[in-house]
Amino acid sequence: MEAGTLGPGQERTMGERFAHALNRFSEAPYVVKAGIGIFLLDLVLVLADRRPDSVGEWVLLLAIFAATVAAMVPLERRPAATAAVVLANVVAILILYHGLHEVSQRGINGLSLGAIYALGAVGLTLVYGILKLVNFAHGDFLTFGAYMAYLVNVTWELPLVFGLAFAVLTTALLGIGLEKVMWGPMRGRGAGMLQLLLMAIGLAFVIRYGIQFVWGTELRQLNVNRTDTVNFLDLRVGRTQLIVIIVGFVTLIATGLMLRMTLLGKRMRALSDDLDLAETSGIDTSRVILYTWLFAAGLAGLAGVFAGAITQLQPELGFELLLPIFAAVVLGGIGNAFGALTAGIVLGVVIEWSTLIVAPGLKLAVGFVILIIVLIIRPEGIFGHARTV
Amino acid sequence: MTDPLAIFPLGLTFEAFTDIDFWTSVGIFAGIYTIFALGLQLNVGFTGIQNFGQAGFMAIGAYSMAILTAEEGMNFWLSLPISILITIAFGLIVGLPSLRLRADYFAIATIAFAEAIRLIALNARDLTNGAQGIFGFDDSWDSISESIEDFIIDLGWTDVPGLFPLFLVTWGIAVLMMFSLTRVQGTPWGRVLRAVREDEDAARALGKNAFSYKLQSLAIAASIGAVAGWLLAIQLAFVVPDEFQPIVTFIGYVVLVLGGLANYWGVAVGAIILWTVLEGLRFLELPISETKIAALRFIIVGLVLIGLMAFRPQGVFGKREEMVLGD
Amino acid sequence: MTEAPIFEAEGIEKSFGGIRAVNGATMDVKRGSITALIGPNGAGKTTFFNLITGFYRPDRGRARFDGREVQGRPPYVIARFGMVRTFQITKALAAMPVIDNMMLAAPDQPGESLRNVLFRPLAWRKREQEVHEQAIELLDVFNLTRLADHYAGTLSGGQRKLLELARALMAQPRFLLLDEPMAGINPTLGRRLLDHMQRLRAEDGVTFLFIEHDMEVVMNHSDRVIVMAEGRVIAEGEPQAVRSDRAVIDAYLGGAGHGGIE
Ligand SMILES: Nc1ncnc2c1ncn2[C@@H]1O[C@H](COP(=O)(O)OP(=O)(O)OP(=O)(O)O)[C@@H](O)[C@H]1O
Ligand SMILES: [Mg+2]
Repeated sequence: MEAGTLGPGQERTMGERFAHALNRFSEAPYVVKAGIGIFLLDLVLVLADRRPDSVGEWVLLLAIFAATVAAMVPLERRPAATAAVVLANVVAILILYHGLHEVSQRGINGLSLGAIYALGAVGLTLVYGILKLVNFAHGDFLTFGAYMAYLVNVTWELPLVFGLAFAVLTTALLGIGLEKVMWGPMRGRGAGMLQLLLMAIGLAFVIRYGIQFVWGTELRQLNVNRTDTVNFLDLRVGRTQLIVIIVGFVTLIATGLMLRMTLLGKRMRALSDDLDLAETSGIDTSRVILYTWLFAAGLAGLAGVFAGAITQLQPELGFELLLPIFAAVVLGGIGNAFGALTAGIVLGVVIEWSTLIVAPGLKLAVGFVILIIVLIIRPEGIFGHARTV
Repeated sequence: MTDPLAIFPLGLTFEAFTDIDFWTSVGIFAGIYTIFALGLQLNVGFTGIQNFGQAGFMAIGAYSMAILTAEEGMNFWLSLPISILITIAFGLIVGLPSLRLRADYFAIATIAFAEAIRLIALNARDLTNGAQGIFGFDDSWDSISESIEDFIIDLGWTDVPGLFPLFLVTWGIAVLMMFSLTRVQGTPWGRVLRAVREDEDAARALGKNAFSYKLQSLAIAASIGAVAGWLLAIQLAFVVPDEFQPIVTFIGYVVLVLGGLANYWGVAVGAIILWTVLEGLRFLELPISETKIAALRFIIVGLVLIGLMAFRPQGVFGKREEMVLGD
Repeated sequence: MTEAPIFEAEGIEKSFGGIRAVNGATMDVKRGSITALIGPNGAGKTTFFNLITGFYRPDRGRARFDGREVQGRPPYVIARFGMVRTFQITKALAAMPVIDNMMLAAPDQPGESLRNVLFRPLAWRKREQEVHEQAIELLDVFNLTRLADHYAGTLSGGQRKLLELARALMAQPRFLLLDEPMAGINPTLGRRLLDHMQRLRAEDGVTFLFIEHDMEVVMNHSDRVIVMAEGRVIAEGEPQAVRSDRAVIDAYLGGAGHGGIE
């Protein structure tokens, strides 16, 4: 910019210079950006872990770096494939350092958490996409489901299957009831994003502390098998975890099929794409919205029971899962159910892998850092399509 | 499992203190939350950026002060401006990439940032002493506090509550901030902020660098959060990660909408109402346990928030015309 | 007229997904002219404005304003060069009083820098006085003076349109780009607006480029017309010449016209 063309008080600030530099960087050729990005990623991985201690390792590392960048170049406009390549890069380096067995074992550990994230994220993303509601109470739906299962399974001493069914049902009803008394009327008044978001926070308080009022803050356990493990191929997984993984994946696949195959599913996705357009094209939107809540809350209830089964119940159970679930929603592209589903599972696994490098207490922080980085590079998410404005 | 009540002065048992002690402590919390929410007011009410990471900035302010003083042996008074600079630096680091995002993405990004900070504070034990927290940073404050106490005793009030000097200082800072923020808001600079809140594109079309103003707003809010962080640390005499849960930011928003958007003095009103109601509930003779009462208080907070958003989104004292929620 | 044009665009292109909204638009705007930009709905006129004022990034092409490259620069920098635009859908700052809307737009206000506000608290007050006077004068021209203290959100559609114009003028542009300025304004005020444009051109040498669908206005008040269709410039010249241009008539008849050429 030519000097002297700007008036007083209008000189460029540091921030502007930085923003300008960022812009300039964003116009660099893709190979350069990919190269720098992967270099930084690998550098972080190596520094956080250990320096390679043989020439062989150095060579392998360089080969992984080069292969990743080479693989990324033809994928410039395909973010999901690019993300897969970046993930492969990380896995390759982890295997190089820690061996295939360790990486697979942690990956399996991550699957149950991934299934929970995915179940939570599918519903949250549909509600977000369709109703433009950033539902901070979604985590507390999970908690609600877990305590409903506790009521049946522990207080009434019935098998957990009944608890699970009861939880899904009651949480779904909770979702529908809230749509009727709260969200529907608020939408009718044209409430803004922040207004709805704060309302959701208020609702989250009511549910969470309602649960605390009834059950207190002490840790509670569902009546599940916590000791048995299943072994295969030298890998071990807890029996309950395995059940969570299997039931979770079956549910996720069924959800995916429902969204893709059935008329209702197609309508949900149409609404989530563009509510106004769907409305003008004659879809009975309020009915679809009710079904969406039924699904979203029901899946949240299920996820909550799973979370309760593999950990313990306490009133913040679901809230502590909310941010990683949001991360999955954003990574998958807001409103994109398939994206949220995939991102949820991947996030669960990646977070577990991160414990190979960082303290286990930091694994969620790793998830948040991934979220922030993806938001910066590609705010529309890995599976979302770029939208203008 | 964390105790959500950690942010309340529950550690004080009722019998052990006279009323005035109890209410002094409540007053300090109200003041701290006033300061905390002033930063939110600047961001949400006057710039239109939905900062949900304020607890993270508060944490950075409190931790950098405590670490510099207790672990690095720095002079307490010197650590204050330095911790402000550190917090501003974090504000810029967070804002530079994320202020370009859509409002909802920004909200999620900032809350993720704040949680990442808290988790790091919990796990970086060498630096932060993990969940045990940091003690012993407040010797300089204690001597000042005693001088103030002596001064008040000289004035003739003999049974001054031990926390009264902190109460005075907290509210002194809060009032000073409300006054200066209101003044600055009335300048052309403040006018540009409001224009950015209303319509960023319109502001840009008139030659205003909207991004730079949002960044300035966030950095200032961060430094205000840092001040709230020091005061909280001094009040508790320790700094632990649990004090900086996302719920702190949420309660800050309750204070904000109670007092009304786009009004700095309203923030104090909101904080005083909230804390009086919350602590006043203690005096109700309810035949239920302490946990249940605590839960009940938050249920009420939640209901208040829902009710406000449904029926009075501009807040109790907000101007309908300057309502920035809704529409 | 041999003077260099105040604005030149060359081969500007922009696609959204598969749609090429602007497809190699090339044009000059003569210094001191009142130029109309016309074309059927969806011709890419608004998108073209967005591209040359920095709101969108062109895929290809160059634009120069008064000797400076503008493509790739952020909107606020372009506005400070003196190239100011208004919006087709008005952007009144609803929760701010009309007078604040106006005063905001004034350039060279040192009080907009936080540093000056904190450390030179008196430096900006004199400028604020001047700006206030200018704002009141301009509001007078558009019959908005009595609304000065009302919130802009309470204004009617036509009043907002006028406010946005007055506000753009507050920015003291040398080149003003107006996107359908007459739409929604009553004819009397429309006349005043046009007169004011003539006066600004005569007194201060301001150049205008305005998008307009009303052919009567275009014919009587512009001295040059540029016609866009399907993202390209298909004709330009004197109003009367353009009116009888074969390509222009075809474009209006072929497109889903907004009434076409009367
Ligand atoms: N942000 C956008 N995303 C996608 N398509 C867009 C966008 N902006 C404009 N378009 C498309 O570009 C084309 C040109 O639109 P534009 O608004 O520039 O037309 P116009 O000439 O101003 O029309 P009008 O006279 O109706 O205002 C249209 O097909 C429009 O749908
Ligand atoms: Mg247009």
